Amino acid sequence: MKSISLYVDRGSWLNRLHPYTKLLYILTAIGIPLIGGKLWLFPFLIGCSLCLLISAKTLRQTLPLIGFSFTVIIVIFLIQGLFNHQNQQLLFSVGFLRFYKEGILYATRIGCNILNMLLSFAVFILTTSPQELVDELEKSGFSPKFGYIINSVFQILPQMMATKDTIMDAQRSRGLETEGNLMVRMKAFLPLISPVVMSALTNTRERSIALEVRGFGRKQKKTWLSDRPKHKEDRVIRVILIVLILATVVWRILSCR
Amino acid sequence: MPIISIEHLKYKYPGTDRLVLDDISLSIEKGEFIGIIGKNGAGKSTLSQAIIGLVPQFYNGAYGGSVLVDGLRAESVPVGEMCEHVGLVFQNPFNQLSGARDTVYGEVAFGLQNLGVEREEMKNRIERVLKQLDIWQYRDRNPFDLSGGQMQRVAIAGILVMQPDVMILDEPTSQLDPQGTEEVFRVVDALTKTGITIIMIEQKLEKMADYCDRLVLMHEGKVVDFDTPERIFSREDLEKLGVQPPAFTRICRSLGWKQPDGTYPATLSATLRVFDEHKSDINWKEKLKSYQRSGHQQPDAQGSGTTPIANDAFQNLFRVRDLRFSYSKEAEIFDGLNLGLDDRATAIIGQNGAGKTTLVRLLKGLLKPVSGEIYFREQDISGKTVAMLASDIGYVFQNPDDQIFKYHVLDEVMFGPLNIGMDLSRARENAEKALELMGLRGKEEENPYDLEMSERKMVAIASVLAMDTDVIILDEPNIAQDYEGKKRIGTMIHELSKNGKLVIAILHDMDFVAEYFERVIVMAHGSILADGNADEVFCQDEVLEEAKLQKPYITQLYERLMIQ
Ligand SMILES: Nc1ncnc2c1ncn2[C@@H]1O[C@H](COP(=O)(O)OP(=O)(O)O)[C@@H](O)[C@H]1O
Ligand SMILES: [Mg+2]
Repeated sequence: MKSISLYVDRGSWLNRLHPYTKLLYILTAIGIPLIGGKLWLFPFLIGCSLCLLISAKTLRQTLPLIGFSFTVIIVIFLIQGLFNHQNQQLLFSVGFLRFYKEGILYATRIGCNILNMLLSFAVFILTTSPQELVDELEKSGFSPKFGYIINSVFQILPQMMATKDTIMDAQRSRGLETEGNLMVRMKAFLPLISPVVMSALTNTRERSIALEVRGFGRKQKKTWLSDRPKHKEDRVIRVILIVLILATVVWRILSCR
Repeated sequence: MPIISIEHLKYKYPGTDRLVLDDISLSIEKGEFIGIIGKNGAGKSTLSQAIIGLVPQFYNGAYGGSVLVDGLRAESVPVGEMCEHVGLVFQNPFNQLSGARDTVYGEVAFGLQNLGVEREEMKNRIERVLKQLDIWQYRDRNPFDLSGGQMQRVAIAGILVMQPDVMILDEPTSQLDPQGTEEVFRVVDALTKTGITIIMIEQKLEKMADYCDRLVLMHEGKVVDFDTPERIFSREDLEKLGVQPPAFTRICRSLGWKQPDGTYPATLSATLRVFDEHKSDINWKEKLKSYQRSGHQQPDAQGSGTTPIANDAFQNLFRVRDLRFSYSKEAEIFDGLNLGLDDRATAIIGQNGAGKTTLVRLLKGLLKPVSGEIYFREQDISGKTVAMLASDIGYVFQNPDDQIFKYHVLDEVMFGPLNIGMDLSRARENAEKALELMGLRGKEEENPYDLEMSERKMVAIASVLAMDTDVIILDEPNIAQDYEGKKRIGTMIHELSKNGKLVIAILHDMDFVAEYFERVIVMAHGSILADGNADEVFCQDEVLEEAKLQKPYITQLYERLMIQ
């Protein structure tokens, strides 16, 4: 079955890291430029994330994300460069379009932020199995119900997508036109979507019975099939990340004086 | 002391005023294999859920009387505790997977984790159960990637590892193909030897007769009888209660062959034993033949007597020429299939993956051939859209929930007719006729989602019948139907056939095929292995073997008797 999760196990060292370590990385990557406040910090961190993605062999999956974010960033550049209300200093002009320094600077900051966040999240999402994340959350005391919901979404959504095709065929067989102009499509919407939703609801009910009879509702300490093997890397990396954040804070305070 | 004792149990679902369980008292001993039989809606599932405490804890509603399991009150002991004593497996394998584990191994561990079982113990138990159910080799697979039968075995494993004293199986095979059914029954077979108490609900009564020590016969919320299979199946009023006795019992009854204790045999072996005593009756062959003939009510309405196999003797509605098709480049499903379909009611049989559904989808235009032609009434259908074919060819999908979307049964059934341009009054008239034929009269204003699965299936069939198409394709219409439902579908097939319509059905129920279809097509790995009437097809042992199909029970018995 297809999974909607972007995660793929490539057996890289990032796959083996604890999910929390990777979450800390996101925090660091976003936090440092925010705290440090200097624009040049961005390329540094974006470079970092890119290196990580390459070493996890997942750069290919990131490309569409980057491509998408670039279209957004270009739009921001156009709007800000042309129309930012603080625009004063003319930077350059293309034909009758005049770009101003203030707007471009502002856009650069937003663009870098977007890219930086996106890539650091990509590092996390592409290398962490949702199952593992949920297990770890549960082990550190989050409610199993919470974990279950996150997790089953990854498993059950793809199934819903699959039934959608069957439903479409079933309704077309009863003479429903599903292709054509907007009106036709609008009319086809309800016959297509209701069965998806309704069968999802019945399935959910049945599944909650199935969970109940397997002791899911018990207020009892769960046991686990395995402990995560502890990796030295986790501790080392966490320490480095925390030191980096602290160093940025200190540096910021010093440079403010 | 009995392991389960039920006393004066009464129950109503919330918002209803009918007793679904009406003063039930039962006691079941440890190690017994108990079957619960009865028509749809008799209250079997509700009773099974009352034993584990889901009724009333999960559903609420009005509850009276008591259910004790291992001395625990099912009414008040939380289901999460009770599940250490009672396990429940139900129909739909897909919905029983937790959806939170991505391997079979992890899935089976799910319940043990919740019980807080120690790790070493957990691993031992999982390994033992996976091997016992013959799914150890799939332990690292994603459970959602497995076939229905395999998935259902994973579901059973997930319950069995929790080591309950009582295991309840509520129609565990009703949504599986013959192979999946066989796999699950093999597992159940193995369970009988472990001494665990089993309660099984099942419509396949030939199997129940094999397994069960005692049967509970339910009707309208009451326990009508609780006795050995032979005695239950020998009851004269069984059909009136909506239950058809196993084929063997039916035959012996019509021949008047009784066992020494006055009951009719219910299994093949018992029948053979009885046969030994009645061999002297020289007329038995004649009697059996005449029974067999009356059983096969083949609608030779024209009185032509013999049914020729040659296709060109009939007016072809469909002509398939040199059909090639594949879903992906690697695996070709059809490589040059030729077939003609006339107006005889036609059953297509074969294992899952044989290409049955693919074939009918091609006929319906839902799939397009890679090469080759399909002619409908001598017109190539390749240029037509599905919606254009809708007024000629009707197709009932396997799962009614894939199509139902209206809030009233009548609207649902009128949806198709209105789509293909019928005017309102004619659509309504057709819809009412179709509902009548499917036994849904009086339910026009109900919400389809409030109906049971078997009734929803009837709604789906009616919604296609109402379109009054010349061809009706049915994909596994018998799923979740009891005796009456099957009979109704059989009657519907006769009726349509009599009116000159072509009925094509994909089926797994061989006795049903033998009884209601004029033509049987056997498929395996994308080709047609046999084609003819039921008698011709079901005597071809090699073909059935290759297609991994079983003969109808009646044929099995007949052949065994002939040998002796
Ligand atoms: N959740 C529910 N709410 C209301 N009525 C129900 C519910 N489930 C089943 N019923 C009704 O209870 C009766 C018994 O159903 P059930 O126990 O499923 O019978 P069986 O398993 O024998 O087919 C039926 O009339 C059915 O419509
Ligand atoms: Mg039931």
